[in-house]
Amino acid sequence: MKQVVCHKDDLGPGQMTGAQLGPIRVVVIRAKDGSLHALAAKCLHQGGPLDQGRLYDHTLTTDDVGRYAMDADREIIKCPWHGYEYDIRTGATVFDETRCLQTFATREEGDQITVELEPPGAAAASA
Amino acid sequence: MATVVRARPLVAQAQSTALNIIDTDVHERAEMHALLPYLAPEWRKYITDFGWQPERLLPFAQFATGGLDRQDAKLPDGRPGGSDLSLLRSQLLDEYDIDYAVLTGWLDASALHPGWSEFKTALMSAYNDWQLETWVEREPRLLGSVHVNAHDPVGAAREIDRIGSHPKMMQVVLYFGDKAFGDPYYHPIFEAAVRNNLPVGMHHSENSPTALGFHRYFIEWHTLVPQVFMSEMVSLIFNGVFDKYPELKVIMIEGGTTYVPHLMSRADQQYKELRSEVPWVKRMPSDIIREHFRFATQPTEEMSAKQFLAMIDAVGSEDLFCFSTDYPHWDFDSPVEALPAGLPESLQRKIFYQNAQNLYPKMPALKPR
Repeated sequence: MKQVVCHKDDLGPGQMTGAQLGPIRVVVIRAKDGSLHALAAKCLHQGGPLDQGRLYDHTLTTDDVGRYAMDADREIIKCPWHGYEYDIRTGATVFDETRCLQTFATREEGDQITVELEPPGAAAASA
Repeated sequence: MATVVRARPLVAQAQSTALNIIDTDVHERAEMHALLPYLAPEWRKYITDFGWQPERLLPFAQFATGGLDRQDAKLPDGRPGGSDLSLLRSQLLDEYDIDYAVLTGWLDASALHPGWSEFKTALMSAYNDWQLETWVEREPRLLGSVHVNAHDPVGAAREIDRIGSHPKMMQVVLYFGDKAFGDPYYHPIFEAAVRNNLPVGMHHSENSPTALGFHRYFIEWHTLVPQVFMSEMVSLIFNGVFDKYPELKVIMIEGGTTYVPHLMSRADQQYKELRSEVPWVKRMPSDIIREHFRFATQPTEEMSAKQFLAMIDAVGSEDLFCFSTDYPHWDFDSPVEALPAGLPESLQRKIFYQNAQNLYPKMPALKPR
């Protein structure tokens, strides 16, 4: 199953958009480096609509109370409800890497961005 | 509603032989003038001439027959419970065949107003010397705690370094009022505790408010005591104390046990949602609690063994709870009555002595029973 998401110029770096892939709500994200990523848009916690969340740089762990450091190379999507954070590249929550959103293959095809529900394992191979 | 069957647990079946007992909360009491010989001369007049006393913010009379104490623990001459070694021996150590009891004291500047820190730091030094000479060195079964003035963290660390190496000083004790001790301002105290290989015992006080202050009645305040324990734990966890001092152990004293599963669950959920605000915290709060915190059991709530075991399951460890009586206070927990009957013997052993043995590096060896 494949779905056209939008024109490639309508999704710039650091932006995201929702798409419907059959019965599955998907959030398609263009990272700051231009790469595309697609995740199930239903938060693992209580089903919050991730396509209405926000993108942030990942907050690194630090060793000093009161010191913050950001990882500009690792972007996260934050749920608009309770704030669960997911790595946009893996779909994993930042507090437990074993808890992952389903990921989907997404790419530019001509002028369009598409997202595709592939057989298990195929998405990783095409990433 | 489950029926609570009250029957003596294993420790009571033969009081002197069944199980060893380490009591992790026993209060000795000082009369201010008794501290004078141990107090630097420049401070003595504040007690002798000006009558300084620690402030007590709790606005209630203690609604128990003996006030703060068990009625039978008070002295005929009017002195409060915990004032007399021979009575403490007979009512606690001998009566229940306690192997060791950790003294947690009475006067503790950490729960008082931060002002006049120099005097209070000196007073804590005097108290520690008085405690050792009056109690700990006169009774082999009594073990001591290093009292400090937390509001003077440098002075507190200096006192821990001065007296913490005494072989019978088991812990640094921090009473708390309304200050959250996870604040980095207080971290030198935890650093000194770790440097001296001592756990920290945290104890509430009559100056600890509820989340809404002191309410109208004592029963309200006393019901809500666990709130302030949770406040201190949350402060320590989210201010990164255990990430900064990974060897640190803390025992929460006199808050009971039943708030622990709630706090674990609540703090874990908040960490999942808000961890980027405190990126120096690197693990789930419940994991931090299991590794770094222990809990003195008093005041227990009446529970069936089934209910108690459900609580153990909820916290995910049999290693967290250490038996305590809180002698001589009015809500004393009897070693032979406080825990529900029917707990597995292995769990009773952990609660009555093994968990305390593992917590306190200097705990003397126990004679096998």
